[in-house]
Amino acid sequence: MSTLLDVRNLVTRFHTQDGVVKAVNGASFTVAKGETIAIVGESGCGKSVTSLSILRLIAQPQGKIVSGEALLDGTDLLKLSTEEMRKIRGARISMIFQEPMSSLNPVLTIGRQMTEQLELHRHMGQQEALAEAINLLKLVGIPQAERRVKDYPHHFSGGMRQRVMIAMAISCKPQLVIADEPTTAVDVTIQSQLLELIRGITDEMGMSLILITHNLGVVARYARRVYVMYAGTVVEHGPALSVYHHPLHPYTSGLLASVPRLDEPRKGRLAPIEGQPPDMMCPPVGCPFQPRCAYALPKCLTDRPELQEMAPGHFTACWVAFSGETLWQKT
Amino acid sequence: MTDTQQPNPSEMAEVTQARPHRTLLNDAWIRLRRNRLAVAGAIIILIFALGAIFAPLITKYNFAKQDLDSIFLQPSGVHWLGTDELGRDVFARMLYGARTSLAVGIFTQLIVLLIGLPIGAFAGSKGGRVDNLLMRFVDIMYGFPDILLIILLSAVLRGTVFGNMGGGIFVIFLAIGLVAWVNVSRLVRGQILSLKQRDFVTAARAMGGKGTYITMRHLLPNSLGPIIVSITFGVPRAIFTEAALSYIGIGVKPPTPSWGAMIHDGYNVMFTAPHLVIVPAVAIALIMLAFTFLGDGLRDALDPRSRR
Repeated sequence: MSTLLDVRNLVTRFHTQDGVVKAVNGASFTVAKGETIAIVGESGCGKSVTSLSILRLIAQPQGKIVSGEALLDGTDLLKLSTEEMRKIRGARISMIFQEPMSSLNPVLTIGRQMTEQLELHRHMGQQEALAEAINLLKLVGIPQAERRVKDYPHHFSGGMRQRVMIAMAISCKPQLVIADEPTTAVDVTIQSQLLELIRGITDEMGMSLILITHNLGVVARYARRVYVMYAGTVVEHGPALSVYHHPLHPYTSGLLASVPRLDEPRKGRLAPIEGQPPDMMCPPVGCPFQPRCAYALPKCLTDRPELQEMAPGHFTACWVAFSGETLWQKT
Repeated sequence: MTDTQQPNPSEMAEVTQARPHRTLLNDAWIRLRRNRLAVAGAIIILIFALGAIFAPLITKYNFAKQDLDSIFLQPSGVHWLGTDELGRDVFARMLYGARTSLAVGIFTQLIVLLIGLPIGAFAGSKGGRVDNLLMRFVDIMYGFPDILLIILLSAVLRGTVFGNMGGGIFVIFLAIGLVAWVNVSRLVRGQILSLKQRDFVTAARAMGGKGTYITMRHLLPNSLGPIIVSITFGVPRAIFTEAALSYIGIGVKPPTPSWGAMIHDGYNVMFTAPHLVIVPAVAIALIMLAFTFLGDGLRDALDPRSRR
């Protein structure tokens, strides 16, 4: 499989009045054509900033992409002009946002919001664009699409709006769809439906998909490969099943332990990861996870571990794992 | 949808089919109609507007025609609201005065919109240095007392080509418009700045929307409600300003009737012929109240959160 997106050592910072927030510190990952990957991590670990950085949509002027590359089919997105970048957004990379309730313009009908990009990127006429919008709404499972295109966002429920957002994201047949926690704001019962839908459509149309989530359960089911992010860097990545069953980083293992399981007998209370994610204004010098790590070695305080391949395709950045001990692994 | 009978599943499709499509303005219109004060305001405005437009059909008197044999007449069947110190019919003068007032209200707000909206939108969406420059200019304008600046401007404009257009009324339009636009531009800028932070704007940018497109399509339509409300409140303010200017004698030129000038003329004989002051004063109060009610109603109606 050939690589579609290759992000290398992305560094994004925010200049605030209190100091510089180092939101993303050298994150790297790749997405192959037609592949689904997942980026996992808890709140504030830089998942969303990473995806917004790829689209160059981080808040200006505080936010700044300091260094790194984001190669889409070989062209570095971070070096394009504003105008060139604008032509890529929506047409080649599109995004599904977290909040369907606020991601649609309240004063425009659904149809109008959808047809605009079809006219812009696919150069359709008004009638043609409207017909296509109806088709897309049908595709994402909106009943009575012919009527619903004339409705306003407030006529739709959260789940329905997210379906509309999905329809908009795929409308220009992009090569890559970034779904930034697409199911956090909707009902649990709708979550799996939406994920099935996103996965199904991107698969069918041969699009690559980056699924950003904090739910490791989602990952095992939908993504082929997983990147676990912590404090703005990737601490572990590999094939989904391998990461799921043999986590090589204590953080990944902690994430897994803190999720309730339905397919295993209950073993008592859930085990949360103790402590708080680091303050990204002054992250730890050594391993970023060290202050919360029960297995930390003296080395972890001073030296930052780099990613190393521990099993085929399975990388981790952890001194303890390098030493051959994975005490946290399930037996 | 208010049917008392429970729709069975086979009927469900028809029931949803029957729900009418309403645009947002349609929705606002329905809410506005339910507001009694706003409706009352609209009716008063309508009555004044009809009176102003059809004045020649309603009264047989000419607003400028003097009849020195019948001055200071009390209201009667002949002169409905009496006559003034030059024997002119007060009812006719009030009707034609409504023309002046409404014209001032509407045209100044047009000028306000024409200047304030683009400047506010430009400053808000561009941001940075452009925004800073424009808003400092607005601040300077804002720093001057309004009425002083208007008097100054009208004195200056009187000497230009506008001086004699329509009995000096154009000078009033321009003077008030050129001062009042700062409010709207501030409002529009504030709206745009806050809307820019909204998710749907980021989403529109993620879809590849251009800056101007986002301003025109996403930012401005969303701030339309507050703009309409501000303009509606601006109308009575302009009417009042014109009345004040005419009262101190620098408004429209006589004999063009203006409510402010009528109060000025009647002021000296207030105790012998009180109707000369009461009639225009009540007219001013009524039209201001009407526009304020309508503005309040519009504010509630155009706010989607007030949806019941």
